[in-house]
Amino acid sequence: MHPKYTGIQYIIPAFALLTLVLFSPVFYGVWFSLFHIQYGAATTFAGVQNYQDLLADPTLPGTLQRSIIFTGAAVSITIVLSLALAVWIHKLGERRGFLVQMVVIVPWIISTVVATLLFRWVFVNDIGLAGSIVKMMGLDEIHLLNSPHSAMALLIAVSVWKRIGYAVIILLAGLKGIPDDYEEAARIDGATPWQIFRRITFPLLKTPLLLVAIVLTLSNLNTVETPLVLTGGGPGDATRILPMDVFDRAFITYDLGSATALALAMFFGNVLLVLAYVRLAKWKT
Amino acid sequence: MKPSFKASIAAGLLSLSVASIPFPALAQKATVRMWTFLNPAGTTPREVTLAKIVSDFQAANPDIEIVTETHAFDQLTPKFLAAHGAGKAPDIIWAATDFLGDAIGAGSLADLNDLFIKKWTPEQIADRKGPYWDLTNRNGKQYALFTSRNYISILYRPDFFKEAGLDPATIKTWDDFVKAAKALTVTDTSGQIVRYGFAQGYSEHQADPLLMIPMVLASGEGIFKKDGRANFASPAGVAAMKFQTDLIKEHKVSPPQAATWTVDDVYEQFASGRAAMILGASVRVSTLQSKLGDDKVGMMLWPGSGDVKHAPAVMAGWAVGVWSGSKVKAQAGKFVEYMLGPDGDKLWVTSGGQSPGLQSTLNGLGDFTKQPGKAYLNVASEGSANYGWLAPIDFSAGGYRQALNKAGQRILVNGEDVKTSLERAEAEFNRQHKR
Amino acid sequence: MSANSVATARLSAGHERVLPSRRRALPLVGGIIIAALFSLLMILNLLPLVWGMLTSLKAEPDLFRFPPVIFDFAPTLDNYKRVIESGFLGNMQASLIYCVITVVSALALALPAAYAFDRFNFPFRQPLFLLIVASIPLSLGAAALLIPNYLYFTKLGLTNAWFTLPLIYTAHQLPMAIWIIKGTLEGIPKELDEAAIADGASHFGILRHIILPLSRPALGAAGVLVFVGSWNEFVASSVMVDSPALRPIQPAIYNFIGFFGREWGPLTASAMLAIIPILITFALLGRLIVSGLTKGSVKG
Repeated sequence: MHPKYTGIQYIIPAFALLTLVLFSPVFYGVWFSLFHIQYGAATTFAGVQNYQDLLADPTLPGTLQRSIIFTGAAVSITIVLSLALAVWIHKLGERRGFLVQMVVIVPWIISTVVATLLFRWVFVNDIGLAGSIVKMMGLDEIHLLNSPHSAMALLIAVSVWKRIGYAVIILLAGLKGIPDDYEEAARIDGATPWQIFRRITFPLLKTPLLLVAIVLTLSNLNTVETPLVLTGGGPGDATRILPMDVFDRAFITYDLGSATALALAMFFGNVLLVLAYVRLAKWKT
Repeated sequence: MKPSFKASIAAGLLSLSVASIPFPALAQKATVRMWTFLNPAGTTPREVTLAKIVSDFQAANPDIEIVTETHAFDQLTPKFLAAHGAGKAPDIIWAATDFLGDAIGAGSLADLNDLFIKKWTPEQIADRKGPYWDLTNRNGKQYALFTSRNYISILYRPDFFKEAGLDPATIKTWDDFVKAAKALTVTDTSGQIVRYGFAQGYSEHQADPLLMIPMVLASGEGIFKKDGRANFASPAGVAAMKFQTDLIKEHKVSPPQAATWTVDDVYEQFASGRAAMILGASVRVSTLQSKLGDDKVGMMLWPGSGDVKHAPAVMAGWAVGVWSGSKVKAQAGKFVEYMLGPDGDKLWVTSGGQSPGLQSTLNGLGDFTKQPGKAYLNVASEGSANYGWLAPIDFSAGGYRQALNKAGQRILVNGEDVKTSLERAEAEFNRQHKR
Repeated sequence: MSANSVATARLSAGHERVLPSRRRALPLVGGIIIAALFSLLMILNLLPLVWGMLTSLKAEPDLFRFPPVIFDFAPTLDNYKRVIESGFLGNMQASLIYCVITVVSALALALPAAYAFDRFNFPFRQPLFLLIVASIPLSLGAAALLIPNYLYFTKLGLTNAWFTLPLIYTAHQLPMAIWIIKGTLEGIPKELDEAAIADGASHFGILRHIILPLSRPALGAAGVLVFVGSWNEFVASSVMVDSPALRPIQPAIYNFIGFFGREWGPLTASAMLAIIPILITFALLGRLIVSGLTKGSVKG
């Protein structure tokens, strides 16, 4: 074999699996979306009809806008908070740091449906723990889900709460990898703590931050469970985001044609986002 | 518990290799696969009943093995339709009412006449006649038989009624209903409402059919037009939606936070004594009784409208059919016939807490329904026979409850005008179904 | 934000155990803010878990008293009994087997791939690696393509078999694993390879005898992430297998949010059982995962 191709043999098994399980279904999905779908089966060729139906849907721009607001807010808040937490845990020292780390990851290791149900029950429901305490203190009941803005804020908060553990772990690992002498040298040169963070820590965290940003963006953009369990998309359409729309098309009105078309459009949007992130970070492979 | 847990992990790792060896196929035995949402290994009354029916059947039919494959209830029917499209569906399917039309339209269900009904006597057929039978009977073919019949009307707390000096039997009109709800609403000294007269949830997630639907139907109006387009914003529709949202806005006998409550939220509020009446389903009564006590949960029919004694309640449920592509149709049919026949039906009622499917079961129960807490079985039976409505299956009605719930949310939370909101819901429903 | 600036202010204290003088210099306000934020974090993260645990020990009538009972109830193991009787240990066993297979095969596929991407130059190397990164959405957003995916796998005859879920989980976790491991390999000096080549070692020999031992921490870290991801996977787990013997834990937990209502008792009991293996994994390997990711993720 030409030496130029030596490396390829090591990636063949991985790519074979990815092709079978991840890539081919996308092509199958694209093919499927080009047909009229009746009762769950492809019937006659429809061309781009399903996509045209989608574009004609007047509710779609609003859903897209809410998805962007939700994802943008959830990702940026998670990153800022997880960075702060990671820096703090890093400075805490072995034992205490590990303890905090364990507390931080708890929501992440419980499955999304159960975690969201528990959060809703304990903190949001008026017969839950927090609601009862509020009532016992003689205060008025708070119904966060009953206003469009607070429902969206709550959805963002729950998403941050659920996913921050993952971000902290990855960023903490990044921090631990920065050799101590970098900071030491900067301090001797008279740099302020903020300067050290800006100039040394932050740039060296670029790759873990990129990983965290990508994973958070995609998992928020594609989450069905969180809004479904927390708000059901309401009140009105206030918390209806794209994946819920796909879910409803597929499982409530059973319109698989447009559900698949929307899912694929979202998927290609996801891929473009990933590439944009990589480009923005000027990240070299 | 701990040692067995550890042991099972060890066993799990050991059986790693064993798991890959397929079971040897027994030559004579026919395997019948059944998809349902019940887990026969489970411990709830219905699950125990299903397990008993399966084991009784297998004991009587040693040549047939029933393999039950449990699925999440909300994925069950769509997945069956997809599996039918791929040619690999199970032999027996439990289909939700919402998808029944799709399942029949897709040709996924076999005609049960060919399998066993043709051998029935006219008496046997008459025993089962009723709206559920008619729903699954299309062009002379019987595509499925119902097992779980869900009658959705009012569940109430007899103890709270007594406390307020009320008798549920006196609620005959919608005015009576509002009056009772007011009398049942309890406010504490600081002015906070601690118990509401009536509650129903408006969330789109797990949407039950709200009070306005029976009210519209009782007026003789439909919620669909003949061609399947939505008919939500009719004068009767507007009046009924106004009535139910006014329970919250005007009369303050129903909780405003219910705008985002799911069905389960409502049952939990009921179980906590935070509501005296709720929109509730007959299939939930036994579960609630196990939490609260047999004498603390009752069921009543909807009030009437003058012309109609009781407004028709929405009915739903699960129908069992045999897959048209099954290779063991005869055996599958045999099991369905047994599971829903006189023996099975009786078990579903006495040990599963379900409403009877056969008139003869109800007649044969005699004193059973006179036991404490069992009266709801009579209410549900009377209701299903005389005051029931099933969503049409000739066209897909998927999403109609969600559309109406969302309209309600907009009225309650955003203060949208009732008629405008219903018209929006109509337009959205029609667009989703390309009608 | 304030936690951030406060925390970075403490940055100057350095790694070597905070000096007492430094600590005194820390403004009192900052300390209070940190304490308040940490309490909030504890409440938000641990309260649902504690509440779930208490709920799992309650009998039916205690579940929905109002106001809720916190400690004033007779604890019972009935919910755990019910969960176990309904076959949950079998589901855990299946999940455990799936996850072990997934971890092993994901690492076995990821290490050579990461090795190739880091050490070799071959046509389309860069675009192929971007393809790996771009396929992360497929693992995270696969739920959206559920029905076409189901049809595709069914038509290939890949559903409802013992290998179905490990196959899918492995593919889901592979892109992330390759990325993490590749990061670590970047930190292993290339001179080691060159010296080995000079000694007559083959490329495979280098992978086996140099790269593998040196990337062990990264393999451990990636392995833990793969395990958690597979253990909590719900969508494929509930759709791609039918047979009760093949059912993993997440759909089994979900079964307690059934058609006839959510049953908080067994639901929380099964959820508590499900997080035990993960808590154990993190308690044992938590430090490893952080230090293992360390070398990998910094190099950019």
